[in-house]
Amino acid sequence: MPREVILVDSQLGNLDSVEHALIQVGASVHITNDPDRVATARMVVFPGQGSFGPTTQAIVDGAMGAALRMVVERGDPFLGICLGMQMLFDSSEENGGHAGLGVLPGYVRRFPADMPAGEMPGARMLKIPHVGWNDVQPTNEHFYFTHSYYVIPGQAEDVMWSCRYGRIEFPATVCRGNVFGCQFHPEKSQWSGLRFLRSFILGGRG
Amino acid sequence: MLKRRIIPCLDIKNGRVVKGVHFAGLRDTGDPVEAARAYDLQGADEICLLDITATVEGRETFIDVVHRVADQIFTPLTVGGGVRREADVRRLLTAGADKVAINSAAVANPLLIRQLADKYGSQCIVVAIDVKQMKPMPGDTTPLYEVVIHGGTRSTGLDALAWCDHVAKLGAGEILLTSMDKDGTRDGYDLWITREVSHRVPIPVIASGGVGQLEHLREGLAVDQGGADAALAASIFHFGLYTISQAKQYLHEHGIPVRQQESPRGVTISSNSFG
Repeated sequence: MPREVILVDSQLGNLDSVEHALIQVGASVHITNDPDRVATARMVVFPGQGSFGPTTQAIVDGAMGAALRMVVERGDPFLGICLGMQMLFDSSEENGGHAGLGVLPGYVRRFPADMPAGEMPGARMLKIPHVGWNDVQPTNEHFYFTHSYYVIPGQAEDVMWSCRYGRIEFPATVCRGNVFGCQFHPEKSQWSGLRFLRSFILGGRG
Repeated sequence: MLKRRIIPCLDIKNGRVVKGVHFAGLRDTGDPVEAARAYDLQGADEICLLDITATVEGRETFIDVVHRVADQIFTPLTVGGGVRREADVRRLLTAGADKVAINSAAVANPLLIRQLADKYGSQCIVVAIDVKQMKPMPGDTTPLYEVVIHGGTRSTGLDALAWCDHVAKLGAGEILLTSMDKDGTRDGYDLWITREVSHRVPIPVIASGGVGQLEHLREGLAVDQGGADAALAASIFHFGLYTISQAKQYLHEHGIPVRQQESPRGVTISSNSFG
């Protein structure tokens, strides 16, 4: 019997690849934008890409936000991907500042524009967005990232794996109880990504 | 640390890969789905599909190709070619593209870049820029490059460096920089313009045009040469001269940080001496 996953369609990016990857690792996937369906789900994946803004604010303040909090509080497995992970935190400074779901303490900020490329001699500045494959610690696996904003966690113990870009170390994955988040895109990270999703489906820690 | 990306690019015409793909150990095929799948298994960091069809029917076929390729790979997919308006971008993203490259349309209407970046996020808007070196004149202190469009057949009067600055300011997430002088020559990227652009703009730059051997990839990515964040190539991979893994191994041995992965299903696509 495959594990049933509710994949939340909140108009924050293409769901197909996430659905495809979840099916690949043995999940049966139901896509919905109905908060009632989400509220009663046994396992939820909330993907998102792009930026914090009016759309995310509407989700946080609306019925979907309430449904997501309900899943988290009830203790059912929840995975937020990229923007979906950032939304778990208290707030973001993106687009003039927005509140998040406040499930985990911390906030979201932009990579500084003038980060020297210390580890790349000769290059002048690090590029933003942080696009491409970077390694996470402690597993040393590579995942595909694409983002300009990163999480500053309020509690270090919520960070499961970390990643480094220039002088900034930021959470690649977070975990507290049943709540998981990943800054990278597991659905675009070949075998490392599929293994991560499989662990989530099996209730593991990635 | 962030690794440099190796991006195989497939030119698609009427649903088929142009020039053909000849991997050793695989059926000789021009099927883009099979080719993209093979590159994904070899550990390509990203895959690029470029529509070079001119007809409406061909465009429909391309959407179908994007859809079928996206269904087979677990790596980012960048698509471009003939993207004119927002509706084209939406269709490609819906078909499964992660990023869309716009070229001539951005030159015709630069504000389209901002509009698309606001709507879909900078991370999915790549601006493709084709450049050509202008004939040097007495007194020039540095080379001068012009932006060209429509496959290099039409000049725009835009200075390449100024245009790169401009697209970055408008919210482009990456620049795909192709040298028309080098494209198809197999004698390496235009390192001068690649380095100038890479060191100048605050967004990632993908070098394109001219790769004929592995050393060219290294040059494009080396900080003191091309300085690009990613290297795009077509024929050296299509013709089975090298696999993606061989390219990565070479770059690793020559000091370029790349992601290397094992062959997960024991699939080894060996090189041959074709071409």
